[in-house]
Amino acid sequence: MLTKRKGGEPSHVRLQPASAGMPAGTIDRRGFLRRSGLAVGGLAAFGAMEFGSIRRAEAGPVNFQQPVETRKNICTHCAVGCTVTALVQNGVWVGQEPTWDSPINRGSHCCKGAAARELVHSDRRLKYPLKLVNGQWTRLSWDQAIDEIGSKMMDIRAKEGPDSVYFLGSAKFSNEGAYLNRKLAAFWGTNNSDHQARICHSTTVAGVANTWGYGAMTNSFNDIRNSKTIVIMGGNPAQAHPVSLQHVLIGRELNRANLVVIDPRFTRTAAHASEYVRLRPGTDIPVLWGMLWHVFQNGWEDKEFIRQRVYGVEELRKEVAKWPPDEVERVSGVPGEQVKRVAKMLAMDKPATLVWCMGQTQHTVGTANVRASCIVLAVTGNVGKPGTGANIFRGHDNVQGATDIGLDIVTLPFYYGLTEAAWKHWCRVWEVDYDWMLSRFESKKMMEAPGIASTRWFDATDLPHNEVSQKGNLKAMFVMGHASNSITRMPDSVKGMEALELLVVADPHPTTWAVVSERKNGTYLLPICTQYETAGSRVASNRSLQWGEQIVKPAFEAKDDYEAMYLLAKKLGFADKMFKNIKVENNRPVPEDVLREMNRGSWSTGYCGQSPERLKAHMRNQAKFDIVTTRAPKDDPEVGGDYYGLPWPCWGSPEVRHPGTPILYDVERAVMDGGMGFRPRFGLERNGQTLLAEGSYPVGSAIKDGYPEFTMAVLKKLGWDKDLTPEELATIKEIGGANIGKVSWATDLSGGIQRVALKYGCAPYGNGKARVIAWNLPDPIPVHREPIYTPRVELVARYPTLPDKQQFRVPNIGFTVQKTAVEKGIAKQFPLILSSGRLVEYEGGGEETRSNKWLAELRQDMYIEINPADAADRGIRDGAWVWVTGAESNSRGRMKALVTERVGKGVAWMPFHFGGWFMGEDRRSKYPPGADPIVLGESANVITTYGYDPVTNMQEPKVTLCQIRAA
Amino acid sequence: MARMKFLCDADRCIECNACVTACKNANEVPWGINRRRVITINDGKPGERSISMACMHCTDPPCKAVCPVDCFYQTDDGVVLHSKDLCIGCGYCFYACPFGAPQYPRTSNFGSRGKMDKCTYCSGGPEADLSTAEFIKYGANRLAQGKLPLCAEMCSTKALLAGDGEIIVQIYKERVVKRGYGSGAWGWKTAYNETIAT
Amino acid sequence: MLSRFPFILVAACALSLLLFTAPSLLAQPRSPTPPVGGPVSADQLLQQLPQIRGRVAIPVPRASVLIQPRGRSWRVFHEATLPWIGGIAIIGMLVVLAVFYLWRGRLRVRSGFSGVAILRFAAFERFVHWLTAVSFVILALTGLNITFGKWVLLPLMGNQAFSALTIWGKYAHNFFAWPFMLGVILIFIIWIKDNLPNKVDANWLRKGGGLLGGGDPPAERFNAGQKIIFWAAVLGGVVLSLSGLTLLFPFSVAAIDGMQTADLVHAVLAQLMIAVFLAHIYIGTLGMEGAFDAMGTGEVDLNWAKQHHDLWLEEEQAKAKSPDLGSRAAPAG
Repeated sequence: MLTKRKGGEPSHVRLQPASAGMPAGTIDRRGFLRRSGLAVGGLAAFGAMEFGSIRRAEAGPVNFQQPVETRKNICTHCAVGCTVTALVQNGVWVGQEPTWDSPINRGSHCCKGAAARELVHSDRRLKYPLKLVNGQWTRLSWDQAIDEIGSKMMDIRAKEGPDSVYFLGSAKFSNEGAYLNRKLAAFWGTNNSDHQARICHSTTVAGVANTWGYGAMTNSFNDIRNSKTIVIMGGNPAQAHPVSLQHVLIGRELNRANLVVIDPRFTRTAAHASEYVRLRPGTDIPVLWGMLWHVFQNGWEDKEFIRQRVYGVEELRKEVAKWPPDEVERVSGVPGEQVKRVAKMLAMDKPATLVWCMGQTQHTVGTANVRASCIVLAVTGNVGKPGTGANIFRGHDNVQGATDIGLDIVTLPFYYGLTEAAWKHWCRVWEVDYDWMLSRFESKKMMEAPGIASTRWFDATDLPHNEVSQKGNLKAMFVMGHASNSITRMPDSVKGMEALELLVVADPHPTTWAVVSERKNGTYLLPICTQYETAGSRVASNRSLQWGEQIVKPAFEAKDDYEAMYLLAKKLGFADKMFKNIKVENNRPVPEDVLREMNRGSWSTGYCGQSPERLKAHMRNQAKFDIVTTRAPKDDPEVGGDYYGLPWPCWGSPEVRHPGTPILYDVERAVMDGGMGFRPRFGLERNGQTLLAEGSYPVGSAIKDGYPEFTMAVLKKLGWDKDLTPEELATIKEIGGANIGKVSWATDLSGGIQRVALKYGCAPYGNGKARVIAWNLPDPIPVHREPIYTPRVELVARYPTLPDKQQFRVPNIGFTVQKTAVEKGIAKQFPLILSSGRLVEYEGGGEETRSNKWLAELRQDMYIEINPADAADRGIRDGAWVWVTGAESNSRGRMKALVTERVGKGVAWMPFHFGGWFMGEDRRSKYPPGADPIVLGESANVITTYGYDPVTNMQEPKVTLCQIRAA
Repeated sequence: MARMKFLCDADRCIECNACVTACKNANEVPWGINRRRVITINDGKPGERSISMACMHCTDPPCKAVCPVDCFYQTDDGVVLHSKDLCIGCGYCFYACPFGAPQYPRTSNFGSRGKMDKCTYCSGGPEADLSTAEFIKYGANRLAQGKLPLCAEMCSTKALLAGDGEIIVQIYKERVVKRGYGSGAWGWKTAYNETIAT
Repeated sequence: MLSRFPFILVAACALSLLLFTAPSLLAQPRSPTPPVGGPVSADQLLQQLPQIRGRVAIPVPRASVLIQPRGRSWRVFHEATLPWIGGIAIIGMLVVLAVFYLWRGRLRVRSGFSGVAILRFAAFERFVHWLTAVSFVILALTGLNITFGKWVLLPLMGNQAFSALTIWGKYAHNFFAWPFMLGVILIFIIWIKDNLPNKVDANWLRKGGGLLGGGDPPAERFNAGQKIIFWAAVLGGVVLSLSGLTLLFPFSVAAIDGMQTADLVHAVLAQLMIAVFLAHIYIGTLGMEGAFDAMGTGEVDLNWAKQHHDLWLEEEQAKAKSPDLGSRAAPAG
């Protein structure tokens, strides 16, 4: 008689279907798995459980009479990089303990990290390979699956060329997995290799790298403890990066720092802010320029910093002058006095840091937003010092690593690009013949042409062939660890899925790829284990590498990424070449060896010093690192002087023992202590002005001024080439051939050039200025552009989006879409701004977390936040069902209303982690039996619309239009 | 002897729900039983605060007073525990509890609501310390291992403090002095008839 | 139990240390930067509202109550006031009845038994009465056990046995609630027409029902005292049923404060009714000669009827002469 559990009862029902589906006879050692299957049966029936007991032991309890092992891995959710400490008994993960020693999380977790154990135990995982046969999921062996997939891929390749296959990788890979995935695409012969960074911080990487060199968080979570002003603009770390708030709030308390949150929503982060600024979604640049307007007006800029280290501020003044307080308020809705107050804090109450996340990046103006943020920091002198910086909180546990490793359509690993020189560099590292590599591609042109963005894969499938700049349309998706419901315009992506000849999903869970389309054949699901069931390194947002050890063996028939990719490469016929220098044991490439190969080729980004041995030593000695500086005492025998996780760049070979770089561009410390200037990567001068630093250089530098990147030619000029060892010189000669002078710090595989530069206290990449003007971008100085779907149609004429253009092999017709929307009066039919974002309980597409019963219980329904005034207008009660309709494809979604003042009037907000419903229809029955997540719901991206950043083709899920009515 | 208490610093709590899943993880708490929960007041408005709440292990616990079969007891550490062997599932403790701590496996009271379950301060129950029987009925016994409840140990912002009352008050007071504000120890007046000047 | 104290102290100290290891202690005091909206404290909110509610992630409305200090006053009532009310009412009633018995003894049929019986309650009526009565007695005993058992029985029986008894008592309480509720409904249906108050009752009451001497006042089928019992059973039964149902299905009818109220109403009313029905039981058995037969065999002696329900008897005898009424009111042979 479940009369009371109004909310609980449906969830009860949800839990039931999973009790089926334990494969008989296939699980041998793992008694606990059988038990967990039983336990769920028991759980489903616990309402009827006998009187004497309410609970069942699942994986626990620990038997304290028997030995318990402790193993450390890294949380697989956001990029804070919390260490997970596991208790293992008899091969079963029986408990979790806080990791007091980790300088990053200090024992803490959010609900996801605290529920990590259940991810491995979840009985909702994919248990064995499956394929869709006439709409039915059919079990098959790994061998058969790989064989069929490989054959189909080669068929497609023969007909349509290598570019018709897309390798969609993941920020959930370890570095080693990401590297193998990128290498797999290269050996296959395509640049259609991407991952979640596209929809996450691709605009950050582009914007930040174009300003001062590297596309990454400049400081660290720990360093925020030094800030006196913390501005969080377009981020909700309280929910997206909860453990980061430990550093933010403790720092804020100790320093009595200003905590400013600039966001369209009054978030859980805003609740703790000392100043909350509500802006209209998509008006970050007006607010940032509005702040600079006050800075310039009052002379608050850091003049000395600008003189020494910033290029192009005079041009900037012209653009900023267009944003006096009244115009800022007209466009963004933020009152001038508040803008001035925040500007003053940033410029005068220093050190100040600016934190951002998807609120800035996921826009058609994402790169410009990020650039404007960097410029504000540069102009106020808030970069390259403790307590300052662009603290970009990245979203996935290894999105920084996967980005660096070039799981990307525009570059090979470590930002070498796709030029012939880049390919030759990597062919040298891989010890494969460049001509063989070239032969894998459609042509040299395609080998050097950026691939298709993951946000546009379905356009490359759906659009007429003549609009797609490659030999054939996309015919196959090989997806490893990426959700389809994270990508906007789902009605279109569903069409794209239906047009594919082959869809492979290699993941611990089926994901929405498996259920949203009407595909009947040609879909394969490969069970991949979580990172807890394998070993490897991952990079936290602060650029620290952490080594995770295997906690338990892969559950069910799951394999790790390494083994799956090895098997595929073997089938495709290039495993010998691809794994030439990597040891393979029982079909599983050894991750330590993969990392060593990366170390040998990653000079450009300073991943060269982080050998597996050093990383493991850091995990063993976590307690020795200081919580603020993240540095270990110099006298420690294993990790002496190192910064925790050897944050990249960690120059030179491991033997050089560079300590890593805790704060990028900090000239107040020596290069061997992690100091450096800005990276001059855009030439030495422009329009007669130098792009090298003037009178600013890292402590202890032999060159007391700016200098270009180190090449053999520069060394010779300085006379430092004499410091190279004969072996180093031999390697350089071999690489350079006739043109030895061009061999640089980034291409010298001996590491000699870096070693010598370090010896003289110089940063290998040079010492330059930050760029306010990035002449290679569509808007060299950021300008405000209205979102494609804006409610403020009157502003479109003055602030239009950029013209249509072919980008990443497909057309970007944003301008036409915006114009049409204005002409058709879309804003009248769909009067509410729709934004989207994260919940703390779920992550990404959410399949994994929605399958975790401890997390799923906390969020059982998809919902939309709506302001009480808008709800009252529509007769919508809190908790009632509503239909949300979108501006494209007659899209609609059914979900619950959450009536709250978190969102302002005229704005609605949805979490983006739900899936398994499509346009109001529950697709639970389409999941493979027993692998359906506990919680399903409508995906936010069913409603989201067109809009792509011109620089990276970032999607626009943060601003679109919608209408809501009671269901 | 220590007097174990919980103190949630609402100026730190961010509703990350780590305490909730840490509790589930440590004690293998089934779906539908919520030993700990996080509640946000003034949601979406200035003055919004989130507070993590579970059994506060009251001084003079109301649950113990109203239990018709006297199944509660308070340990030397001040932790309020109960015997599931004796519990009759009547629900009285839920009426009396100011903090909504008691949980029941059944929603209907017809017959019985099943054995009451609540936060044990990660210190098991009347069975032998660290025995399997204890774990199955009550969950972990971290206190017997010299550890504090996992919810507080894993709190993302160190908002939730657990430990001897005097020590955690000291920590909290230092914090308030350093930062210059504090909204007090939530529930302490009701649980311990004690307020902390801020 | 292991020696916990040193471990805990170490853990707590470690916690306190790590909270403030940052070196950047205040160089000079800056003004505090509290969160927007100023300070919010529980005490301040509780001065304005009886309970603090908010939003909670799980879809369980009761979980959204953060603090409800009313639990404390409920406890005080439940553990202090209620036992006194119940104790005074029930023990008081027993004392009154004992005193009454000692004073007046058993009330006799003054003119002795005539040997002629008349049907007072038909079989169905007796069934309904006993259905309700048995349920009520079980409910009362199990209910009293819940309130007083821990002071009375627990010390005698020990925890295990008392818990087992109370669990079965609780099952019994839950299951016998249904026949009781059915009984109350049927009582109402079959006896309502005979229980509407009228002038005869006023007279009966004025004369104290003859219990204190001075002769038995006239009465119809039910005298005023019995009508009071009827209405106590019906109205009390309904309120007990509704409050009981509220408790039987937690949170489906009322939230926590409603349930607390329901429990108080249920407990207080039940104890008062127990006291009232003790009097009813006394007068129907020990207290009055010839009364038990009415609900026992269903037939009462003519002289008893004459003495206690003269108007009813007259009516019955009149009806018996009228042929069209058939056998219903026919005196038994």
